[in-house]
Amino acid sequence: MTEDKILWTARYAEGDLNETESLAYESLLKHDQELKEHLLDYLEAHGSLRMLFAYDNERKSLVSTLEALNEEYFDNIEAAEAEIDTVQPKVTKLSTYLRWVSGLAAVFVLGMLIWAPWKGDLYEQFNAAPQMNVAERGAEKTDLDQAATLFNDKKYQEAKVALSKLNLADSQNAMVTYYYGVSLIETSEVAKGRLLLEELFKGDSVYKYDAAYAMAMSYLKEDKKVDTRFWLEKIPDGAVQFEKAQQLLKKL
Amino acid sequence: MTKKVHEDQRYVTALLTNDVALVNEIYKKCAGKVKSFVLFNNGNADDAADIFQEALVDIYNQAKYKDLQLTCPFEPFLLLVCKRKWLNELKKKSVSPVTKGEDDLLHIGEDTFEQAEVLAQQQEQNVLFLQAFEKLGERCKEIIRWSMKGEAQEKVAETLGVTYGYLRKKKSECMASLVKLIDRKND
Repeated sequence: MTEDKILWTARYAEGDLNETESLAYESLLKHDQELKEHLLDYLEAHGSLRMLFAYDNERKSLVSTLEALNEEYFDNIEAAEAEIDTVQPKVTKLSTYLRWVSGLAAVFVLGMLIWAPWKGDLYEQFNAAPQMNVAERGAEKTDLDQAATLFNDKKYQEAKVALSKLNLADSQNAMVTYYYGVSLIETSEVAKGRLLLEELFKGDSVYKYDAAYAMAMSYLKEDKKVDTRFWLEKIPDGAVQFEKAQQLLKKL
Repeated sequence: MTKKVHEDQRYVTALLTNDVALVNEIYKKCAGKVKSFVLFNNGNADDAADIFQEALVDIYNQAKYKDLQLTCPFEPFLLLVCKRKWLNELKKKSVSPVTKGEDDLLHIGEDTFEQAEVLAQQQEQNVLFLQAFEKLGERCKEIIRWSMKGEAQEKVAETLGVTYGYLRKKKSECMASLVKLIDRKND
């Protein structure tokens, strides 16, 4: 009976009951303590899972703000630590040798974290630079041909300028938008690039899943695994990038 | 009786709306105090920044997904949350803090302790829900994970290759399974 009540509660909360069933549920809810507890449990669980899995752009914006403010308010470490050192006695004193070794180890660990060869490998392995294929229609190179040449030569800075003009002239051109977005990301204009790619993903062009994969790569480069997974999971079976996305998901 | 929402709820709203000026005000009021506390207790400025940021994001999450209503002043609440977080970190590292527990916080009102306690309990609850989630079958996990992302359910159904009706029915069943797991845990 309890299990039926839990399922009934879930169906009620999900708006899955018809009007008569909902009214019956609400009527029982008034005096059935057990049902009330199930509903509370359900709402708590739902809130927690939303907190964990929601793609929360507002939270991302807040984190950016906090990171910027952290630099302003938590910097100047040495001065503050020196100040504390004068009032706080050291709990344990390491021998000079041990301090030297642990210092070296810390530098090594830090170095490894920055260098992070394992991360680089994964990014290198999965971020095959896309090639911009355009059919040349005559002897004279068009702006699109020139942009493609620059992009394929990995001259992203110059490609970005050329693609920006093309994008401005025709913002509905999905191919231009995609390569422009990738160029922006490659030249450290990550936020702008992601905006374009996200918009592209929302549409129905043939570049929809290319955009999702490029988004995933942009996060992989920053070692943001949750976001990388989020975008890889958007690529459905049947899409060109599906196999690669699945392989990467397994490795993450 | 429902407690009155404190006027400092505006700081919580500032976190929700990313109101940079007001968030900056929070830093001005509290960052220095948290930094001093962490530095005095075997931490460094980076630790302090991490703890401060984590606490603010926890408060944001609590407000957005669990409807947190502040019934006490914001500053002591945030300081208490940060201090508890840092003391927990020290505990994990088996380092004894210089400050003894929360003796130095005796001037803080009961409401503040209560509010910080609720936040801590919610965090524990999140862990329990996640553990229960992990015990579900793969299909249920996939359905719940996708449904919670915030996209239109019609789109989720399309992505998962199922009908909208099936998605809704299955989601109810999966959520019920999850609640049952929690229900058994509490027995």
